[in-house]
Amino acid sequence: MAKKRLGEAEELNLVPIMNLVTILIPFLLMAAQFISLAVIDSTLPAIGPPQPADQQEDEDPPLSLSILITDEGFTVKGNGIDDIVGATEEEGEDAGPTIPCTVQGCPTPDAYNTEELNRMLVEIKALPGNDEEENVILVPEPKIPYEVLVLTMDASRNDPARKGDEGLLFPFVVIAGGA
Amino acid sequence: MGKKKGRRPPVSGELSITSMMDMMTIILVFLLKSYSTEDISVKPSDDLEVPISSAKKPPRLAVNLIVTRSGILVDSVPVLGLERVPDEETGEEVVRVPDDEKKGQMISKLYDRLLEKAEYAEELSAKTGAEDGEFKGQILLQCDRRLPFSVIREVMYTAGQAKFGEFKFVVIQGGEGL
Repeated sequence: MAKKRLGEAEELNLVPIMNLVTILIPFLLMAAQFISLAVIDSTLPAIGPPQPADQQEDEDPPLSLSILITDEGFTVKGNGIDDIVGATEEEGEDAGPTIPCTVQGCPTPDAYNTEELNRMLVEIKALPGNDEEENVILVPEPKIPYEVLVLTMDASRNDPARKGDEGLLFPFVVIAGGA
Repeated sequence: MGKKKGRRPPVSGELSITSMMDMMTIILVFLLKSYSTEDISVKPSDDLEVPISSAKKPPRLAVNLIVTRSGILVDSVPVLGLERVPDEETGEEVVRVPDDEKKGQMISKLYDRLLEKAEYAEELSAKTGAEDGEFKGQILLQCDRRLPFSVIREVMYTAGQAKFGEFKFVVIQGGEGL
């Protein structure tokens, strides 16, 4: 065997490692997931969490917050929140939506003013007696796209200004049948 | 000239794989990081665009109900097709469940399939007796973001009748919310 010159290191044989890596890469590529998924919990109204019994009826009725989603915008309803939502004496369809769309007729899901809805829900949550309230009922019209539902659920879940559990608004969503 | 040529050492034909190794190592680390052992997967297509949401709750294994713009699948097995009809007022294409597939609000074929799944899950949990495996009526719903609520409502109603009462809407995590 030829005598090695001093200072000349013997090269490492990387071929087996290369083999291993080449096999690992296709396997990992197959199992890789580049989008992360999440879930939003919801229940049907009939089998949803039971509403607390009316202990202090008349005096302090429960909030029973509901958000109607129409092709004009959001209509927010509940007990004791008339000042915030600016409810008028008019009832039914004449009253118009509480939060109209930014574009007439709500042609796209972006036209729904979810920022304003979120701001209003933060105010409602801050009212005395509403800290324990966590339920919201969504009542969408049949033609409303599913994406708007998800956007509304996003808007009613968190107060963006506060992180963690403190920022929770109304995380328990019940979807009602609607009209 | 000729003398010099003769003295040159034989050129080695070996490839230097060090740089390739560097590249492979980086790719390997990246792929290991994105390696997923999640129970469910979404296969996006033209007919299934799952909406993006600020929700953070991780999904858990349950019956997987997929509603695309062309049909309904339970655990990746097609159950029935949906039809597209022009809207009476606007003329836009609207996806809906064919009338002959449903009784009132209930989608017959879907009900049968889901009831089968529910009964099987109940039987299984009764046999094992494990508390973790107890049937809670949880169902994962993957729906296309453009579907009208009327279709979702019929699907939810049918699932509700077939003992599935806890809906979990699958969304793609994205954004920090509002």
